[in-house]
Amino acid sequence: MTEPLAFDIREYLRLELMPHFMCPGCGHGIALRALLWAVHELGIAKDKLAVVSGIGCSGRVGAYIDANTYHTTHGRPLAFATGLALARPDLKVVVITGDGDCLAIGGNHLLHACRRNLDLTCLMFNNEVYGMTGGQVSPTTSATRLTTTTPTGNAEPVFDACRIAEAAGASFVGREVTRQVPALKNLIKSAMSHVGFSFVEVISDCTEIYGRKNDLGEAPEMILHQKADMRPEAFGNVADQPFRPNRLTTGILSQHDLPEYGETYRARAALLRSGEK
Amino acid sequence: MTTELQPLHGNQACALAAVAAGCRFFAGYPITPSSEIAEHMSHELPRVGGVFVQMEDEIGSLAACIGASFGGAKAMTATSGPGFSLMQENLGYAAMTETPCVIVNVMRGGPSTGMPTRPAQGDLMQARWGTHGDHPIIVLTPASVQEIYTETTRAFALSERFRVPVVVLYDQVVAQLLESIEVPPAEQSVAADRPWAAAGNGFQPYAETESLVPPMVRPGEGLRVHTTGLTHAPTGFPTQAPPVADRALKRLLEKIEKHRDVIDKSDAYRCEDAEIVIVACGITARAARRAVATLREEGVKAGLFRPLTMWPFPERAFRAATANARRVLVPELNAGQLILEVERLTAGRRPVAGLNRVDGEPLAPRQISDRVKELARHD
Amino acid sequence: MSRLEIRLAGSGGQGLITGARILFEAFSMEGRRAAQSQSYEPTSRGGFCYSDLILADDATDYPLVTGLDVLIALDQTGADRSAAMVKPGATVLYDERLVTAPPAGEFNAHALPLNAHAVSAGSARGANIVALGAYAAMSGTCRLESLEEAIRRETPERFVAMNLEAARAGFRLGKERS
Repeated sequence: MTEPLAFDIREYLRLELMPHFMCPGCGHGIALRALLWAVHELGIAKDKLAVVSGIGCSGRVGAYIDANTYHTTHGRPLAFATGLALARPDLKVVVITGDGDCLAIGGNHLLHACRRNLDLTCLMFNNEVYGMTGGQVSPTTSATRLTTTTPTGNAEPVFDACRIAEAAGASFVGREVTRQVPALKNLIKSAMSHVGFSFVEVISDCTEIYGRKNDLGEAPEMILHQKADMRPEAFGNVADQPFRPNRLTTGILSQHDLPEYGETYRARAALLRSGEK
Repeated sequence: MTTELQPLHGNQACALAAVAAGCRFFAGYPITPSSEIAEHMSHELPRVGGVFVQMEDEIGSLAACIGASFGGAKAMTATSGPGFSLMQENLGYAAMTETPCVIVNVMRGGPSTGMPTRPAQGDLMQARWGTHGDHPIIVLTPASVQEIYTETTRAFALSERFRVPVVVLYDQVVAQLLESIEVPPAEQSVAADRPWAAAGNGFQPYAETESLVPPMVRPGEGLRVHTTGLTHAPTGFPTQAPPVADRALKRLLEKIEKHRDVIDKSDAYRCEDAEIVIVACGITARAARRAVATLREEGVKAGLFRPLTMWPFPERAFRAATANARRVLVPELNAGQLILEVERLTAGRRPVAGLNRVDGEPLAPRQISDRVKELARHD
Repeated sequence: MSRLEIRLAGSGGQGLITGARILFEAFSMEGRRAAQSQSYEPTSRGGFCYSDLILADDATDYPLVTGLDVLIALDQTGADRSAAMVKPGATVLYDERLVTAPPAGEFNAHALPLNAHAVSAGSARGANIVALGAYAAMSGTCRLESLEEAIRRETPERFVAMNLEAARAGFRLGKERS
């Protein structure tokens, strides 16, 4: 193995936009660092990197990357990315989305992006809450948590984004916590190296709104509890909740060698054209 | 030079014109009565190195088109009422980010699911004002298969040149009609690309330019910029500074106003000496044209003004066409939409009457000529 | 000749749209401009179905029916549902067996054995083509050669011979009756 090149995050940031908008202790900055580290180690040229994001805290992260960045509409970044990746297979397309963006308003696009298996990487920053709008309940808010729209504690079951992605046909599914930065970087590298649709759930934290509302401590405490706090056991008997993970596994959860959609489409089109000559 | 006539259906002509204009990306979702456009595009695009994709809904369809356009492709989607409603948010995004794209809306009866197989003209106002906020948009209203061809190619030319979403709006009758048309030579149909930015120091993606249309960045070629639906400064980054925000929106609107000489298009038929001018578009305009022909035979001085660019409304040509008219009649397949613009421009100088049909049937020439004669009795 | 409005009417599956498309092509070869439309409904088999052709010397202004100059009715449903749109003095051709009550009025009406001739030519499904041949001969608006060429262009390979036979049979029938 060759020694990885020294990584200086400033080479990949739009420094003129600093200071950034993220709250102190927000996990999204760590996720951003892991992504840029992965880009660096993969040797992807900034010109060839396209980052497509949606709306919410996660959606604002892309702007800081010195690449082709597209801040799109709420829930739709995967659909925008689908068009971009099909029109420009020479670009490396990464989607940054959040738990609300990806699983609530954008849920249908996630399902079909997984099924289509186009070569792009989707990073879902999961902080269990709608932070940008002030802390409302999201599809991944843990049971009993307080949010501005669950004053008596969340009573809705959560989505397991990774199981959804795999069931919908994603050929690469992984999950990692921001607590483990090198592991997260390596997972993103694997995802971006995978040919086909790769889905990575990044367990992030919202300290300022969600953490305070639920008395989860400061950023260090929240990071340390990242795995434990997301366990659904708190909600009830796991055996009665078959669609919920019984524990938060991390790393590459599944990987399959499946036909990549863009390649398949182009091959068939080429065949069609040669048949006409 | 005579071109050979080619028999085409309206929706087929739309697809062929798009490909001829240089469209290389289509994303869509099936919906009556526009689905034939998607079907034809799925056959045509792979043959010319383009991409067709059927998306999970109309929201994703327009999103994918805008994404492809980011990448430099000329892109189009096609839909009908319910799908057009779903596209409104991303239509505003295209207007805000100045991303060229063409949206075809084949109008059917509404509201809601309405009458999927029947013609209507109920989306005239939605096409102008459907997305939230003040925004630039161009809407074209062809009335025949020939015009679907020429207006679709014009839609690409305008969308690229002014970096604005362009809606091609026609009704179910024309969509499914078979007519022989003159297909222009390929070189006449190709739409010039949007202005492209060249790499250089201090480049700002939304800087003021003489044309008010900033050159667009093609990713992968040295300039790395940010694109956002948030109100943005010339740098491309979000801003809420009042003077910058003010200028950002006003430039978007002014870039259309500034180029009205290129964007406006209309057709005036026998308006010079007309005492009553009929204003209509689409299939209704064709009924009106027949009505004018028969009215003239009966000695009634009627004329027809037909906007081909519906939005922005061709005000100057309209004023010229109605300058000598005593009255204006606006027949339309809705409860009264086009008439609102006509009344605004007429400003009480002469009476404006409507003739509306919302039962899923087109207005017949006879209904229009009868209404004209009824109005003439008041003079 | 200025505007001419022709309708093929019957039930879904009788080849009414194909018939109008063939006639459209044939008239185009004769140098006429045409607009063709048809009933457009969610269902595509059975039930009332029609296909209209509006002919003009130049580009058609209003492309839909205002009053039929010609009605070709392949069955009773087609005849009944179109009767109100037929102009006085119009030509009405109908199948002598499937239309028992032809439209009443001052029409130039002709009961023809369309289905019987189609069966002789190979299939009852060719009744639409027999009707086109008969109409071409009786009206004199379209040459048999143009109709034949349009059939070659517009029908699937395996039906061309049969359709040509049906058109010729119809043309002979039309000549006999005119």
